[in-house]
Amino acid sequence: MTVDAPTSMSADIGASHAEIGHREAGMPTPLVGMLLFIASEVMFFGGLFAAYFNARAAFPGEWGPPPPAHALEMLPIALPLTLVLVASSFTMQFGVWAIRRGDQRALRNWTAVTLLLGVMFLAGQLYDYSILGFGIGDGVFGTVFYTLTGFHGAHVFGGAVGLTILLARSVQGQFSARNHVAVEAVSMYWHFVDVVWIALFTTLYILG
Amino acid sequence: MATTTLAPRAGTWRQSWVIDWLTTVDHKKIGILYIVNSFLFFFAAGVLALVIRSELMVPGLQFVDEATYNQAFTMHGTIMIFLFVVPVLSGFANYVVPLQLGAPDMAFPRINALSFWLLPLGGILIFSGYLFGGAAAEGWTMYAPLSNARYAEGPGTDLWLIGLTLVGTASILGAVNIIATVFKMRAPGMTLFRMPIFVWTVLATATLILLATPVLTAGLIALFIDRNYGGAFFEPSAGGNPILWQHIFWFFGHPEVYIVILPAMGVVSEILPVFSRKPLFGYRAFVFATIGIMLLSFSVWAHHMFTTGQVFLLFFAFMTALIGVPTGVKMFNWMATLWRGSLEFTTPMLFALGFITMFLIGGISGVMLASPPVDFHLQDTYFVVAHLHYVFFGGSVFGVFAATYFWFPKMTGRRLNERLGKVHFWIHFIGFNLAFFPMHPLGISGMPRRVADYSPDAGFTLWNIVSTVGAFMIAISVLPFLVNLVATLINGERVGDDPWEANTLEWATTSPPPPYNFDRLPPIRSERPVFDLRHKHDAEHMAAERRAPEEGTA
Amino acid sequence: MGSSTAHSRWRTGHRVGSLLLLIAALAGCGMIPPEPETETARSVFTLYNIVLAMGAAVFVGVEGFILYAIFRYRRRDDRLPDQLHGNNLVEIIWTAIPTIIVLILFAASAITLGEVEARVDEPGQTIEVTGFQWQWEFRYLDDDEDDENDHTVVGSPASPPAMVVPVGEPIRLELTSTDVVHSFYVPNFLIKRDMFPAGTEGGGNQLEFTIDEPGTYSGQCAEFCGDLHARMTFTVEALPRTEFDEWLESAKAGETPAPSRDAAGTVLEISADEIAFDTRELSAPADQPFQIHFTNLEGVVHNVSIYDANDAEILIGEPITGPDAEITYDVPALPPGEYTFICDYHPVADMTGTLTVQ
Repeated sequence: MTVDAPTSMSADIGASHAEIGHREAGMPTPLVGMLLFIASEVMFFGGLFAAYFNARAAFPGEWGPPPPAHALEMLPIALPLTLVLVASSFTMQFGVWAIRRGDQRALRNWTAVTLLLGVMFLAGQLYDYSILGFGIGDGVFGTVFYTLTGFHGAHVFGGAVGLTILLARSVQGQFSARNHVAVEAVSMYWHFVDVVWIALFTTLYILG
Repeated sequence: MATTTLAPRAGTWRQSWVIDWLTTVDHKKIGILYIVNSFLFFFAAGVLALVIRSELMVPGLQFVDEATYNQAFTMHGTIMIFLFVVPVLSGFANYVVPLQLGAPDMAFPRINALSFWLLPLGGILIFSGYLFGGAAAEGWTMYAPLSNARYAEGPGTDLWLIGLTLVGTASILGAVNIIATVFKMRAPGMTLFRMPIFVWTVLATATLILLATPVLTAGLIALFIDRNYGGAFFEPSAGGNPILWQHIFWFFGHPEVYIVILPAMGVVSEILPVFSRKPLFGYRAFVFATIGIMLLSFSVWAHHMFTTGQVFLLFFAFMTALIGVPTGVKMFNWMATLWRGSLEFTTPMLFALGFITMFLIGGISGVMLASPPVDFHLQDTYFVVAHLHYVFFGGSVFGVFAATYFWFPKMTGRRLNERLGKVHFWIHFIGFNLAFFPMHPLGISGMPRRVADYSPDAGFTLWNIVSTVGAFMIAISVLPFLVNLVATLINGERVGDDPWEANTLEWATTSPPPPYNFDRLPPIRSERPVFDLRHKHDAEHMAAERRAPEEGTA
Repeated sequence: MGSSTAHSRWRTGHRVGSLLLLIAALAGCGMIPPEPETETARSVFTLYNIVLAMGAAVFVGVEGFILYAIFRYRRRDDRLPDQLHGNNLVEIIWTAIPTIIVLILFAASAITLGEVEARVDEPGQTIEVTGFQWQWEFRYLDDDEDDENDHTVVGSPASPPAMVVPVGEPIRLELTSTDVVHSFYVPNFLIKRDMFPAGTEGGGNQLEFTIDEPGTYSGQCAEFCGDLHARMTFTVEALPRTEFDEWLESAKAGETPAPSRDAAGTVLEISADEIAFDTRELSAPADQPFQIHFTNLEGVVHNVSIYDANDAEILIGEPITGPDAEITYDVPALPPGEYTFICDYHPVADMTGTLTVQ
């Protein structure tokens, strides 16, 4: 049995140069990347949540913020902040729907509103920190509380930076019904940050 | 110099060459940067290993004090795992995966460059502890509360935490890139079940990195907060829980073992078929075994914590035992690939066979450790050190060398000298077994790991001498390898596009491949498109043979 | 294919073979655990040997096949072998084989685990074992409520302690740590257990064993715990019950503190905090006795000992544990010269100094 050298390659070409490259079907590659990145972020927050529940289960004393603070004040600040962030998810999505229709103006407006809500959330959270009366070094509760909310806040900040870029680009009219992958990517991320907050709010404020 | 996406800059040739490599987003160049960078760290970690082995050769402290010794083994473990084995395999994945998929590049070339450049940065930060009063010295597992500020003073541990966070971020970004590449960049005809096994194992690895590494990042940050901002995650005096660190670390740490071993398995699964001239036996079974290992690896972490007395022993023992099953399936498939093959013992094949034989020992000792009562005796002894080196070094590092010899002709157009390669293999193989096999009896007779010294009455001396001799043999084996690299780059044999008569798409393009990899692609109708192309006439011939089975074999 | 290549290949194969023989020889020598000296150690020993035998069988089978394949299927000509892609039946068979092996191992492990983890209601002696950087404290719990009169043994890296226990009775250890994670390990008992700070998860770990024969068994910390981890050794001395009782009685009697003499002139002040002395230099007059007043400010055991230039013991100070514990050591008259004072429990640079006698 002899082995032929592949002499007649050109006669049997599977794909030409033009065909090699991105697959057009399915989700755009940047969105796939964003989804994967969010998956890793889920695990990151999963690790922090696991730390929270483990710390809570293993804590020898009564769980909660150190005295004199008794329980986290849910209603005055945390609940309004939650509503702000949840609302911002809706405004973000309205922007996405707008640009899918090709409405650049509505995208710009909704992005601006979303950014404003995000900044409001951050400001509110900083205010909350300033009046809580305990710090990150005040026992296990202080540590997990500030670590969880702090890292969430950092992610909101990252999202706000993304929104700012989005706003600048939409002001310049860079997005259209066909070309708005960046809008979809930022909105995915923003929704994720919102979902993390809902989980945090439930864990820290409702379950206590 | 039309080899990158960037136009050549003004200036001398030398300047443009340097800038070209520093700014490249070509997956092939980034892959080579990964590999070169990793080998530099490998040599640094190897020097630390020699420090450790020299100190342990005979009882008493001859060369270094305890503090230096503890830094040496901490940095050795950290560097070998995080800055050599994982990134060097990422480097091969970077270079090979787009080629094997028939893709022009990775899905996100610029993120690819970023995730490479974070690595040397993180590595230098980890190392820089030596400049600031001593590197981290709590072991690569960094157990709390030993790693808390009270017991681990100085910036070495903080630099370790920051550096490792960067390295982890780099590998997460790399994993995102690999997965997106696999799902979005495959050439027409390259269905998932026609992907080379190496791509499958890299895909599984990337998934593990994507899901396990962020948990470590969370832990590193928590420890950093404890050390620097008065946090209490792991601080017993403030109600924190030291075992939490162990859970977090090993939830990442055990998938990490498979992050390190799966791509090496993939390399071996590419090499065995080529030099046996047979397809990998049970391709689909192998893919499912890879996925099985990937899934199971998230449910076995606490077998590192049997002696804490605080984990559900039987559950973790059972899951750990189960993970032996897909591993066994792989072993059988490799054996069946050799069976009735036509075996050629090139250097990559020798390293691949070395991988199988050494990984088998590591696998068996791993199953032994999965039994909690046996583990109660062997945990934290030199038996565990032997086990992990048979997996990481006898497994992964043999795989790395196999990959180096196998793909070097693709990267450079020149084949590494076979004679020097075989000298390298045999000194390495014998040295490896001399260095690490004696650690089994040492551990079984009760020598704990991470000790700077031992009693002359303990009966450990003989085995330690043998082990140290072996360690120096491994170090010596690197010399023929380095000589081979340099000599081949200067004056090596030019061997054409497909010197090994291999199977997968990277061999269908030139060596080295052009920018964007392919001018044209062969049709992809199986997991061995280049084999199909080479043997398309034989295929008809063999079909005829099968119709008249007895006559054709005379 | 030339004959010289064939010859070198034969030599290569020969070398692989002799190497594997060497491995097998090594394996035979060292793969059996130390003599099991407790009841549970014997069950672990049996289980270990079963596991080892199964592992060895797998090893011999697989490596044997690979060696066979290397010789049998060496490339002899350029023919393409049969392109065998796989076979579902064999895949199922060789999924079943390792499944059965690991299930047998799991079942055997589960049975032995039950024996190892069994606890009696009334142990013959309960000992509270506390690990600290870098030694051990053994406290013999007795029946009365008063913890102060329990006999306590504290070791130091220079003189590791002996845990004296009766043979033939279950000994229960209550394991805790004052600082980092340690692990209590006696190779001849084929068991270890980690020790965590009291009050945390794992801080209440227990270990139980019954020693068969009188003898001395060496043990050591198995969990890396910092600089002097390697020197965290101890021994277990097993005595018949009557001898054990005598030992405990006389040990307790010897604990009454010696009456201290009146202050005889020079008193040197020294204190310890955060594993460091407040001074690294002391000086005292030659040829007359003096005293050292030592204050331990932290909850970690420390002492002050004095050694001469030849490392001979001048004073081994009684250890104290703070916070704010005090003791006065009487030092005999010393000839002029340089001496070293050190905490025997933390012989690190911060707890080592020079005593100048002139």
